[in-house]
Amino acid sequence: MRRRARLLAAAAAALAVGLPALGASVEVAVAAPGDEPAYTETKHLSRTIMVQGQEIEIDSRDVTVTVDRTTELRGRERVDISWTGAHPTGGRSSSPFGEQGLLQEYPVVILQCRGLDDPSLPPAEQLSPETCWTSSRAQRTQVTDDTEAAWRHDKLATEEQRAQKYGLAPIPAECNDVANFSTHITPFRAADGTVYASCTSETMAPEAAVGAAFPPAEQAAFTDLEGNGHAKFEVRSDVENESLGCSEKVACSIVVIPIQGISCMDDDAACNRGGQYEPGASNYSNQGVDLTASPMLWWSPSNWNNRFSVPITFGLSPDACTVLDSRAPTGFYGSELMSQASLQWSPSFCLDKKRFKFQHNKMADAAGFALAENGGGAAAFVSGEHEVKGSDPMAYAPTAVTGFSIGYVIDKPGNAGEYTGLKLNARLLAKLMTQSYLGSELGRGHPGMESNPIGINLDPEFQKLNPGLDTITREAAATLLSLSESSDVIEALTSYIAQDAAAMAWVDGKPDPWGMKVNPSYKKIKLPTPEWPLLDDYVPVTNDECRQQNPTPYFTQLAAPVPSIRKIAEAILDAWPNVQTKCERSTVTDPWKIGRVDRQGVGSRFMLGVVSMGDAARLGLEQASLATRKGFVAPTAGGLVKALRLAEPSRSGEKPFTLDMAALVKADAYPGTMIVYTAARTANLPQEDADKVRQFIEVATTEGQKQGYGNGQLPPGYVPLTKTGVTAPLWKQAQAVAEAIGEQEGASTAGDESTDGDGDGSQTGTDGGDLGPASVSAVDGTDEVLAPVDGPGEEADADADGKGEDEGDKGDEADDAEQELVTMPPTTQVSSPVAARVLPTLVLVALISAIAANLVRLRHLRRRRS
Amino acid sequence: MTVTTERPAAARAAAPRPAPPARNDDVWSVVSTTSVMCCLVAGWMVAQMLYLGGLAQDRAQDALYADFRAELAAGTAPIGPVTEVGTPVATLSIPHIGVEQVVVEGTASGDLLTGPGHLRNTVLPGQRGTSAVFGRASTYGAPFARLGELEAGDQVNVVTAQGATRFEVIGVRRAGDPLPQPRPEDAARLVLVSGEAGGSRLPSLSPGEVVYVDAEADEAFDTPAGLPPVVPDPEQAMGTESGAVMPLLTLCLGLLLALTLGVIAARQRFGAALVWVVATPVVIAVAWLTTDVVMRLLPNLL
Repeated sequence: MRRRARLLAAAAAALAVGLPALGASVEVAVAAPGDEPAYTETKHLSRTIMVQGQEIEIDSRDVTVTVDRTTELRGRERVDISWTGAHPTGGRSSSPFGEQGLLQEYPVVILQCRGLDDPSLPPAEQLSPETCWTSSRAQRTQVTDDTEAAWRHDKLATEEQRAQKYGLAPIPAECNDVANFSTHITPFRAADGTVYASCTSETMAPEAAVGAAFPPAEQAAFTDLEGNGHAKFEVRSDVENESLGCSEKVACSIVVIPIQGISCMDDDAACNRGGQYEPGASNYSNQGVDLTASPMLWWSPSNWNNRFSVPITFGLSPDACTVLDSRAPTGFYGSELMSQASLQWSPSFCLDKKRFKFQHNKMADAAGFALAENGGGAAAFVSGEHEVKGSDPMAYAPTAVTGFSIGYVIDKPGNAGEYTGLKLNARLLAKLMTQSYLGSELGRGHPGMESNPIGINLDPEFQKLNPGLDTITREAAATLLSLSESSDVIEALTSYIAQDAAAMAWVDGKPDPWGMKVNPSYKKIKLPTPEWPLLDDYVPVTNDECRQQNPTPYFTQLAAPVPSIRKIAEAILDAWPNVQTKCERSTVTDPWKIGRVDRQGVGSRFMLGVVSMGDAARLGLEQASLATRKGFVAPTAGGLVKALRLAEPSRSGEKPFTLDMAALVKADAYPGTMIVYTAARTANLPQEDADKVRQFIEVATTEGQKQGYGNGQLPPGYVPLTKTGVTAPLWKQAQAVAEAIGEQEGASTAGDESTDGDGDGSQTGTDGGDLGPASVSAVDGTDEVLAPVDGPGEEADADADGKGEDEGDKGDEADDAEQELVTMPPTTQVSSPVAARVLPTLVLVALISAIAANLVRLRHLRRRRS
Repeated sequence: MTVTTERPAAARAAAPRPAPPARNDDVWSVVSTTSVMCCLVAGWMVAQMLYLGGLAQDRAQDALYADFRAELAAGTAPIGPVTEVGTPVATLSIPHIGVEQVVVEGTASGDLLTGPGHLRNTVLPGQRGTSAVFGRASTYGAPFARLGELEAGDQVNVVTAQGATRFEVIGVRRAGDPLPQPRPEDAARLVLVSGEAGGSRLPSLSPGEVVYVDAEADEAFDTPAGLPPVVPDPEQAMGTESGAVMPLLTLCLGLLLALTLGVIAARQRFGAALVWVVATPVVIAVAWLTTDVVMRLLPNLL
């Protein structure tokens, strides 16, 4: 009797909260008719239970699910899913993902499944629970005592589904099944036809292995008290998840299942339960929940029949051009800011036989520029002017307007969801970049910054801008994940710091109003710089055995920059800081190793990184607003356009536009705005390459500027260049430069022999070794380089392949004489004035002083005689 | 260079002067004393660099040769890639210009006092790859004084732990000349490096420019892996040592000063002849040592 009372109370409460939610949802639908979502559907869902042989409908609601994007998705892209009218969630767990989201009541389960929900299709192309991806065994297999097996009383299930054992017959031995328990297995059918029993962690598909490369994407998201909810859902293509196998050819769906509880066919207690938790209550301690209302039974017909199937299509995979086009690619080298655009552009080139096969190879801007300049590549993507080292003129065609941003994932305390609207200023960025936060008590011993905060969330300056965040100490909050390579992005970021008087005063040693001081290793560092150096070498003194065995500079481990912007974006997506301070060893006798820390748990995530706007838009990352003169500007199209108004064309019309950082900040434009140029030679570029570059610029600045997700279109995160409006000067320069590159009539400054020789020399040198002009030039700085001695050896090694084989049999003088000679660079001059003068000077001094001594002596003698 | 003018034997110059009779004479005696001192200091430096250093180098070569001979016989001579600095690694003979030297590891100024040095980030001579050997052009035996006289086709014979190699000179190369053609894959290349006067003044005394002689052998020995990628600045052509030498130099100058004071004190008690007989060898030894240290502050190819 008591149970029934509780149940009825639960039903009444559910109705009470459900009704206003319905009203609200209608209003929302009316209020926002402008942006047409890609998918929206409303379903009437209800739950019935049996009380003393009588069927009672205890829950009935109209649920509407909306998805913002469903077509041309790419691997790891996140789509926004929102819903209204669902049953409020109780017993919320801190992380909704994978196995950690299972102990909740009435969540909304979101899964990615292979196949479409279309009965007219052949069975292999239809979706079913067996083609839905989950990352843990607990989501697929239930083994419980008969009295608790709620799914066996599902009104909508077939007789076989209600049997004691269901799913696999016979149940494989490796499942370790308990004979007298109820067992329900939902095996996973992979794209290649393999069936994974999925009853133990060993029998899961390989992508669901423990410690898999990607964290779980499927989730049991929560619905608030009004019945609304939203989630960002990450889709996986066959590149990330081969077993699931979604691609441009294999259709897939996102399946959204609002869990409403099992509709029961009889008076079973386990089935009829209404949940242990109040709506909105939390379940941080992972207590048990009522199985009938939990997401564990998402496959049970009562839940499964309530599904919303959202068909999705994938764009071409990144390697589509390699597979579909056998022509040799033409490499464009440089800026990673272009990567999302070139991902969509390249199929529009390689699939059109009239065009060439475009390939974007991402590397440091300066290295890409050097390649384009000396003939290693057709053109380069750069976002600033680079020094021309050879004799050929370079022209810059504006190709995309985008920028960098500070991506982040920060959870509000108390499981209140992700924090949005982060605000940062130049001094906070300077504090992060100069490694001036302590990270943990280990950093406290660093001389000169003992009283600095542990992390940015404990910095009063940050708290003033972003109130209401937690004050947990984390090492990840002491750093901004950044690039280890030289890049125009770092140049732009550091010039944002450099233009700010307060930030620079702080870098130069003046404590901020709260007494925080700059890390002495970075004090008075020269900004802006294209490559951020790791200068701190403080090794903490501690009794920790692991740290004693691995004495490494602590602040460098915290910063641990990575070579590509995409890696930073994915680290933020996974909330997996690149902080390298985790001590572990496989057994007690093994030596300690230091590695990357674990992924952060949902609910207390805190991580910042430098990302490109293209990546952030694709992966759905939050981006911080940066301080300008009057306020804070977010990386939106508006902020970028404001910046473009200030861009001044160069005098020659072929060089990059000038974007003065101080002017951007003054005009409240987004400071991270960057224009990416296609840079190529306008003289001495082989005509074939010149035509390709010209074609690329012309296509990219016309049809490539149409916004969209399809092949050849411009993805979000970029501002389109148009013939009219604020981007008109950029567009015009692009067309002019495309013509100049096509014609190849630029004035080459081919001068004296020595310049030519130098150019050749650096070219062979660069080709042979690793590309890193920045570091090479740093070494060149000293006078006594060994180039003349070392040069021949190394270049010989580099050229040996071509040269040595041609030579064939050695020794024959006539052959040697006839052989084509390689133009070699001249010997560099090494001279030492000291060596030239020390001996003559010494001889001179000896002679003069000898004569002087004798003269004085003579005079002395004469005077004495007189 | 100025460091050289405030050193040895201040005592020898200053001590014998009798008390000056008048003020005017005072000034002159100071001038005289200073001149004598300068003369002695500079003269000693020149003498040691050009002649006495040669003696020391000859002796060091004898010792190195004996060492290296024994190591070759025992099969313990080094074959790289990393060898202790200062140990003998090869013998080098260039009949055309009369060079017969033992090559030591390392090319810092101090290493080249005992003989030609092998640049540490190159392979050993005779191994596959390009090897570089530095030698002094004017001082301390001046082993590579006549390097510029070599002509294409001259022989350079090298013996290392792996065997004997006969190189043939490709040519002499100075600043601005093109580098030699790329090395054939299986060949050993040897670059001899020394100094040379830039102009025609005092050709044997001012080796301010670097001269290179490239030589090649068709067959080469195997090269062990693991060469260091770079060497510090002091070991590169015309490099000078600085930091590490200073404490040693301070010690030497301190010794000289102590010696001077000692001589003055001794003169009060004993006769001049006696003091000088006892002090002279000590003074010469310390002056010698000091000059050796000063040499390390000067360019290595001098």
